[in-house]
Amino acid sequence: MRTADLIELLACDVRATPPGVVNRRLLAALIAGGAVTLAIVALGLHCQPLLVAAQQPWFWMKAAYTGLLTLAGAVLVKRLSVPGARAGAAPRLAALVILAMLALGAGQILSATPGARLALWLGHTWKVCSPLILLLALPIYAGLVAAIRRLAPTRPALAGTAAGFTAGTLAATLYGLHCPEQAPAFVATWYTLGIAAATALGAITGRRLLRW
Amino acid sequence: MPGYFAPRREVLQAHGSFPDCGLRIARVKMRRLARRERVDSQVPQQDETEERLRPLMIRSLEGDSGAHRQLLGVLGRYLRGYFARRIGTGTAEVEDLVQETLLAVHLKRDSYDRSLPFTPWAYALARYKLIDHLRRRSRSIQVPLEDAGALFAADGAEEGALRIDLDRLLQRLPDRQRSLIEDVKLQGLSVEEAARKRGVTAVSARVMLHRSLKWLNQVLRDENG
Repeated sequence: MRTADLIELLACDVRATPPGVVNRRLLAALIAGGAVTLAIVALGLHCQPLLVAAQQPWFWMKAAYTGLLTLAGAVLVKRLSVPGARAGAAPRLAALVILAMLALGAGQILSATPGARLALWLGHTWKVCSPLILLLALPIYAGLVAAIRRLAPTRPALAGTAAGFTAGTLAATLYGLHCPEQAPAFVATWYTLGIAAATALGAITGRRLLRW
Repeated sequence: MPGYFAPRREVLQAHGSFPDCGLRIARVKMRRLARRERVDSQVPQQDETEERLRPLMIRSLEGDSGAHRQLLGVLGRYLRGYFARRIGTGTAEVEDLVQETLLAVHLKRDSYDRSLPFTPWAYALARYKLIDHLRRRSRSIQVPLEDAGALFAADGAEEGALRIDLDRLLQRLPDRQRSLIEDVKLQGLSVEEAARKRGVTAVSARVMLHRSLKWLNQVLRDENG
């Protein structure tokens, strides 16, 4: 087939597409994946009473930390899902937020009495926190991968990394509804570790899953 | 100056996606230099191309098939030149790659954001197809990260021979889909006319055509290696 024939054929397959398709698809993926994760948290893990939790400042500290990261991650995913866009300021914002959280955690540990440090750091649930966040990130990651595959990531490994990161942070945000831990040192360590695991998963699988 | 400058900029762009916190000042300086460089290099020509192609792309996204045809035609010539410069003129792979890329531009055009310039989008897509092609051939050729100018530098090489013939691939489609494509391609019927001839609704004919193209894109990717 000559290239001119192919072009004729392609010209027969033109349909109007509304603007904003990229945002809509990614948002739908986040909502669908997030809904699955939320259902697991609510039914499988038993949320703490939300009205009680929402009155505590530490609840909002956690939500702000993971929520800001989700925001940065979503912007990054959007940019890496289409050809020709730069990563922009989102990675810097995410790095800044993580550093701030680590500083907050370190500050708490340093200002505590030596005897209380370990208890602050490990809380009651340090063993399950990171693995659960990774597990809860899976539905969101799957949704994002499905959406990104329909777009055109020209750097699949990076796009996968960003998708894993975003899935991890959203999963951590939803996990925060369940998790009764209060210490910034705990959040800075185990939440961050769970997010890092999800990011690594995205980095490893993205290259293969997101080729087109 | 450009000789000194160009490779540095590549490095910055290549790493500009993640660990770029410390490079910001350098980058601003680079950008200023790049702007100055643009004046006497090939880029004014690229701006012209942008002004020509972006309206076509936008009209194509609004459903104008004439604009789509025109856009793909112009783009095809640029792609042929770009790929020929990268993997050698006269290679049969060049035309395969042109067709594969045009198909990708067509199927992935949703991902173009109308508020952004078009040429970087097209260049990134072409570069991805080239890298993918080279990787599948497992050749260790480096494809430098350049400006969109690399794609839009000069208008085209001669249309070359084909190694993988789409017609041959189309033979593998189910009868209904194949005959629809033949009606449209060979007899120049519109999709509506072809649909009427084959006794299907225009909508399902459109769906069939679109599916065939997606299928073709997949097969082409897997064969072309």
